[in-house]
Amino acid sequence: MTQVPGTDAEATDARTSPGPWLRARQQPHRRWLVLSAASTLVATLATIALAGLVAWAVHGTLFAPEAPYLPGILLAGLVLLALRYAAQALRDLAGHRLAFAVKQELRANLLRQARQAGPARLAGQTTAGAWAEQFQTRVEDLTGYYARYLPARQAVILTPLAILVAALWLDWLAALLLLFAAPLIPAFMAIVGMGAEQIHRRQQQEENRLAGHFLDRIRTLDWLRRARAIAATEAEVVERSHQQRRLTMRTLRVAFLSSAIMEFFSAVAIGMVAIYIGFALFGAIDYGPAGDITLFTGLFILLLAPEYFLPLRQFAQSYHDRAGALAAAETLAPALASPTGPVGPEHSPEATAAPDEGAVVPWLQLKGVTVHYPGQRTPTLAELDLAVHTGAHLALTGPSGSGKSTLLAVCAGFLTPTTGTVQRHPLARQFAWIDQDAHLFHGSLRDNLQLARRDTIGDAEMATALQQAGLPLDAPELPDGLDTAIGEARRGLSGGQAQRVAVARALLSGHRLWLLDEPTSALDPDTEQALLDTLFRLAEARGLTLVIASHHAAIHERCLQRLDLAPATPGARHA
Amino acid sequence: MRNGTRAELAFLHRVFRQRRGWYWGAWGLLALTWIAGIALLALSGWFITATALAGAGLLATLDLYVPSGGIRTAAISRTLARYFERLVSHEAVLRSLADLRGRSFRGLAALPMERIRAYRSGDLQTRLTGDIDTLDAMPLRVVGPMIAAALSLVVTLGIAVWLAPWPAAVVLATSGVATLAVSAVLALAGQRRSHALVQARAGERVGLFDFIGGLAELLAYDRAREHEARLRRENDHYARRQRTQEAFGVGSEQIVQAVVGASALVMLVLALGWYRDGMLDASVAVLLPLMTLGLGEVLGSLPGAWWRAGESLEAAGRVQHLEVAATHTPATAEYVDPTPRDEAPALHAHGLTIGFRRERPLLGPLDLEPARGYPLVISGASGHGKSTLLDTLAGELPPLAGTVALGHDDLARIPTDARYRHISYLPQGLQLPDTTLRSILSPAHRSLSDAALWEALEQVDLAEAVRGTDEGLDYRIGEGGASLSGGQRRRLALAAVVLQDRPVVLLDEPFSGLDTPTQQRVVERLLPWLQDRQCILVTHAPGQLPARWPRLELAKPLGRS
Repeated sequence: MTQVPGTDAEATDARTSPGPWLRARQQPHRRWLVLSAASTLVATLATIALAGLVAWAVHGTLFAPEAPYLPGILLAGLVLLALRYAAQALRDLAGHRLAFAVKQELRANLLRQARQAGPARLAGQTTAGAWAEQFQTRVEDLTGYYARYLPARQAVILTPLAILVAALWLDWLAALLLLFAAPLIPAFMAIVGMGAEQIHRRQQQEENRLAGHFLDRIRTLDWLRRARAIAATEAEVVERSHQQRRLTMRTLRVAFLSSAIMEFFSAVAIGMVAIYIGFALFGAIDYGPAGDITLFTGLFILLLAPEYFLPLRQFAQSYHDRAGALAAAETLAPALASPTGPVGPEHSPEATAAPDEGAVVPWLQLKGVTVHYPGQRTPTLAELDLAVHTGAHLALTGPSGSGKSTLLAVCAGFLTPTTGTVQRHPLARQFAWIDQDAHLFHGSLRDNLQLARRDTIGDAEMATALQQAGLPLDAPELPDGLDTAIGEARRGLSGGQAQRVAVARALLSGHRLWLLDEPTSALDPDTEQALLDTLFRLAEARGLTLVIASHHAAIHERCLQRLDLAPATPGARHA
Repeated sequence: MRNGTRAELAFLHRVFRQRRGWYWGAWGLLALTWIAGIALLALSGWFITATALAGAGLLATLDLYVPSGGIRTAAISRTLARYFERLVSHEAVLRSLADLRGRSFRGLAALPMERIRAYRSGDLQTRLTGDIDTLDAMPLRVVGPMIAAALSLVVTLGIAVWLAPWPAAVVLATSGVATLAVSAVLALAGQRRSHALVQARAGERVGLFDFIGGLAELLAYDRAREHEARLRRENDHYARRQRTQEAFGVGSEQIVQAVVGASALVMLVLALGWYRDGMLDASVAVLLPLMTLGLGEVLGSLPGAWWRAGESLEAAGRVQHLEVAATHTPATAEYVDPTPRDEAPALHAHGLTIGFRRERPLLGPLDLEPARGYPLVISGASGHGKSTLLDTLAGELPPLAGTVALGHDDLARIPTDARYRHISYLPQGLQLPDTTLRSILSPAHRSLSDAALWEALEQVDLAEAVRGTDEGLDYRIGEGGASLSGGQRRRLALAAVVLQDRPVVLLDEPFSGLDTPTQQRVVERLLPWLQDRQCILVTHAPGQLPARWPRLELAKPLGRS
């Protein structure tokens, strides 16, 4: 049975590993990271001050000869509170701004990269659906890394450090307790982190597989219904979900256990601090600073203890974000890497032949053109010479894989040859393009035809072009005439009719060089003949130059010139 | 709130009721986690204050071990409760998701054909799966936190009433209500944008598809830069709006925390005042504000809950109609079909006009009643309505005029499944599920022997290719049948049709992709099977079929010049 050819050597070109790649993205927008670090520091200082204020108020009320003025404490406390949460909000917003800046830059790059790569290179790398998924979802997956993980990583250093300094100043024994508890946390975090990454990857895979199964069954609903397999399939869908549940739960149990252990240790550490302070206050410990501990010191440290561990917990949570972003970066980095091999339309340093000395300049002149895709042993095109003259009808033939489409892409300027030159007549810089499945854009028939030219095309001219292309406006498939909505799975139009729309569009463009890539291979033989009748009649009447890549005999018969691209016969060939 | 909200809530209730034991367990554990957290904080404060008083000689006796035991218990039960809460809630959600997928698949299958076709366009499909996943937030991140927050609030209120004068309870209740209100207002304000965001995203996707799919055309007609600039502009606009929405989320979270912090401060000042007036003892005066502070974690989950409530309701609104479709399907049992083959009802059409729009019919009027054993061969150039005719005869497209009937019953009145008990239809656009050859040939409700499957493969000249694989009948055909060639896919489907063994057979280009000798061979082998069946066969090459089969050449469609 035929197997799908699906190995893409280029896609695995990972010159940059995802971690450094992610860091490189944030470099131009460092100011947001500075802002978030500053806000974290302000919020932490406000928290420490607030704890001090509260501890002092309690201590003062209980022990001081002169009780503190309570409304003043309330007012000061509210100010500190507002400062703390405003700073935290600022920190979160800075993180989001950083993510926004990175994402927008990436998306702009993706768009530019796609245009510069051109259709010929893109076709080998991705599909429209996969590309859109990358643009929307994969880029979005980076949000958590910049908006949560990076700020959390700053906080995990700044906040505990500030609190430790404050505690050290008051009671070094309590500070020591906190300090000793802290190294436990990174150790556990490493465990949690590793677990998180693994779970993330596994779960993602399983989710994709399950979603794939479900989608596949929806897509094939017609078949299943006709085969009367609906009930059986429903049971299958449910069974698959339960199967996935069992697998997922197995991994989740481990993950939850490791985070429970971490939480338990931070609770134990807080408890130890509380008990130490309690016993010290009671007078049961008289070593070091414990002897002269006050309620102020005790409460102050106790209030700060949970704040000391909070950033650690948040950091552990944001580890999932990091794992997700790394996975996304792995797919994004190669897509954005600068192109290797035959370059796309924007890079082509083309020689526009000056129409010198009145000589007959061919529309297209290829000299010694070699196209060598990286990762392939032999070049796809080798030392090819070709001249296409005005009014020529040239068929590019050969078995699949012989480079027909590559040569056509070189003619179009979508690919620049590895070596060799392409000269084109000034009039041939613009061309019309029709491929196997003409792309109909989302919108009305009118929008699709208007694409051909910048100036507004009148309805009458459009109707004439459609008529000439063999799709008169009163066809039943065009119930609303030029306003018929088409695009996305070209609703209502058959394959042949979609090609006719493309022919009409090419006509309206007024370009006289037409490049056609397998224009009839999606059509049945009757429709193919009818379309070719139309095409060649138009070519005669308008003096069009046609270059057609096709393996269909019906096309070869109609072309006066043929260039046979047989594989494995390198050397100069002439048309 | 929108009008449909009540119906959506009812729908969600129906969906999750099935697993309510799990959910109540998860909610209870969540409340336990939070209450233990509050207790941990409150007890620690009380303990320290009491020891300080005792150390200073202000408190006569202090039992150190009971409160420290309480602190330990709270710490341990908090950790355990959280661990089990996570386990139980994930178990519950995954169970519900499995239920939901089954439900929505059934609902989708019961929709009329045109509606399913709309679902086939990529966007709706992915949205459906996304929507189903969004629904799970409702019990876990919306209802759960709200119920657990209410429980925690009631417990702390009880303690406040028990230990302190009434204003303490008022402060607690106020902070509960205030957070609920603040987070609801902010979430609703942010939510109003989310609908527009979802639509903008779908629109953007269409633009991206056009950019990549139509890049060759865009470059040829020098429109690529324009299109790129437009996409960038639109994306920028979209991202800015998304950023505003995120800011609402960030803001509401911090505001709720600030409200809780302010309540704790007010509580502290009140409690210290009461202590000074001798209405409270000191350790309780410290316990109260710390208990209020402990509510921070509880109430902090409310903004997120509101936020997700909106998303879940929107998703529910979109999934809901599937369930409605599933429950309104007429029971198939009502239709009794006579079993003996000779008495099987015959398919016949009278005065049939077909097409998609009344004012532009494709074909008709037409009378058809093919005789058993004499397949009717329909031909004509593309665009003349051949495939539409078969769709109509299979009952998948209503006729514009006239009737299609099976025996005495109008096709439209026969339930789908019963209709396919009589009619096999092999359409032009074929989408086979990604599974093994065996399950395609023999769907689960029928148990056919391997010998029968091989025989059918033999008939369509596919047996040899299948024998050439390592897996044989367990060979997976891949997504969209990608591991088979186009001709192999069609022949596999034809073999499945043969095995379906139904009295009416509609075949659209069954032999396309076959060379002439193979086609002759396949037709030859199928002859005995066709003997006692009504068959209509659409082809563009009628000359290659037996000459004794009747022909129908479709004329040019109406209204076509």
